[in-house]
Amino acid sequence: MTVVIGFEGSANKIGVGIIRDGEVLSNPRRTYITPPGQGFLPGETAKHHRGVILTVLQEALDEAGLKAADIDCVAYTKGPGMGAPLVTVAIVARTVAQLWGKPLLGVNHCIGHIEMGRLITNAQNPTVLYVSGGNTQVIAYSERRYRIFGETIDIAVGNCLDRFARVIKISNDPSPGYNIEQMAKKGTKYIELPYTVKGMDVSFSGILSYIEDAAHKLLSASQCSPEDLCFSLQETVFAMLVEITERAMAHCGSQEVLIVGGVGCNLRLQEMMGVMCKERGARLFATDESFCIDNGAMIAQAGWEMFRSGQVTELSDSWITQRYRTDEVEVTWRD
Amino acid sequence: MPLSIGSLTKHVNMAACMTENGSERKLEFFLKVPFPSEREATIALQSLSPDPEPRKGGITKNLDLSGQTLSVRWTADEARILRVSVSSFLDHLCLVMETMDVFGPPVSQ
Repeated sequence: MTVVIGFEGSANKIGVGIIRDGEVLSNPRRTYITPPGQGFLPGETAKHHRGVILTVLQEALDEAGLKAADIDCVAYTKGPGMGAPLVTVAIVARTVAQLWGKPLLGVNHCIGHIEMGRLITNAQNPTVLYVSGGNTQVIAYSERRYRIFGETIDIAVGNCLDRFARVIKISNDPSPGYNIEQMAKKGTKYIELPYTVKGMDVSFSGILSYIEDAAHKLLSASQCSPEDLCFSLQETVFAMLVEITERAMAHCGSQEVLIVGGVGCNLRLQEMMGVMCKERGARLFATDESFCIDNGAMIAQAGWEMFRSGQVTELSDSWITQRYRTDEVEVTWRD
Repeated sequence: MPLSIGSLTKHVNMAACMTENGSERKLEFFLKVPFPSEREATIALQSLSPDPEPRKGGITKNLDLSGQTLSVRWTADEARILRVSVSSFLDHLCLVMETMDVFGPPVSQ
């Protein structure tokens, strides 16, 4: 029996989760939400996390009904992500690991998403679309690495959505992406936007510039509604993601797709991906918002896999890093 | 007895001074933090030392352990750079001490 506690705080969510042999015992989380029109900055995000992390940690233990002695390993997000919040969370993880006399494990955030997706959905060997505010990658497992088949060459799709939400001052509660999704359902007019797939990769910064500009012009001339813009943006960027996912599937001969990351909560994206999968006779896997969105249990799960395959992080090597490629990690727990 | 945040200001000695080092004028800042035991001081050191300074140039920071006391020494080219680094460090130090308060004391080895 192996019990791992995982700490996650690379962006504006701070979560602590506990997993025992594939069972999620607890997964509390808090989100730092900024006023409409504002994004979250590293220093303020770190301050938010500092203020709640010990409470969330205690909640995780209480909900799981466990004591420190019951934990076998302390996992935390080594990277990638925002520097200040990552440091805050790593410091607490290091401290409790030492207080409790438990080994420490630095986990790659992207791999946390993948391993949680695999655990919850039981997908065997999927083509993974990892889409969030900070990351956009198409990933497939091959020979001890999660290989990146395609990715954004500039900003993440979630970043594009979040920054557009700021332009039209949509609420960030519970998340800008969720509110864009709700508004998009009411959109009726399709505004043509640039479509920027670059081979296996995608680009979003041009679309963002274009739609920011278009929003000002069209809204002030009452030629369309904010709902129409939300609808058009989603249709465009999601179609791009479906295209590069399909391209990777064709390369790998894959019959499974797994969507992970906060943008993976979006039901329209799941619907569009589902259409493509059905055409190819492939299966689509997705998780609900407790696991799509950054959470502690996903770090615990990746930590569980790493720990059981013999990995451990020395304290002197436990520094956080804002850049951490998914394929840098040796996936020792899979053949 | 764990060291609480309230007693932090009483026990910490801080000194900031400007020193001339040839033609260079670097600011120096010293911080000494006593802990209830050597073990806790070591835990704090190991929690606070792994991450590199975000800013590459214009600041150095050295942590040292002497018995139960953690000491930190900064040198910086400019006061504003020094302020940011020291301020961040103190936030992190408070977090370590609070964590020790709530989840300590350390288990016997």
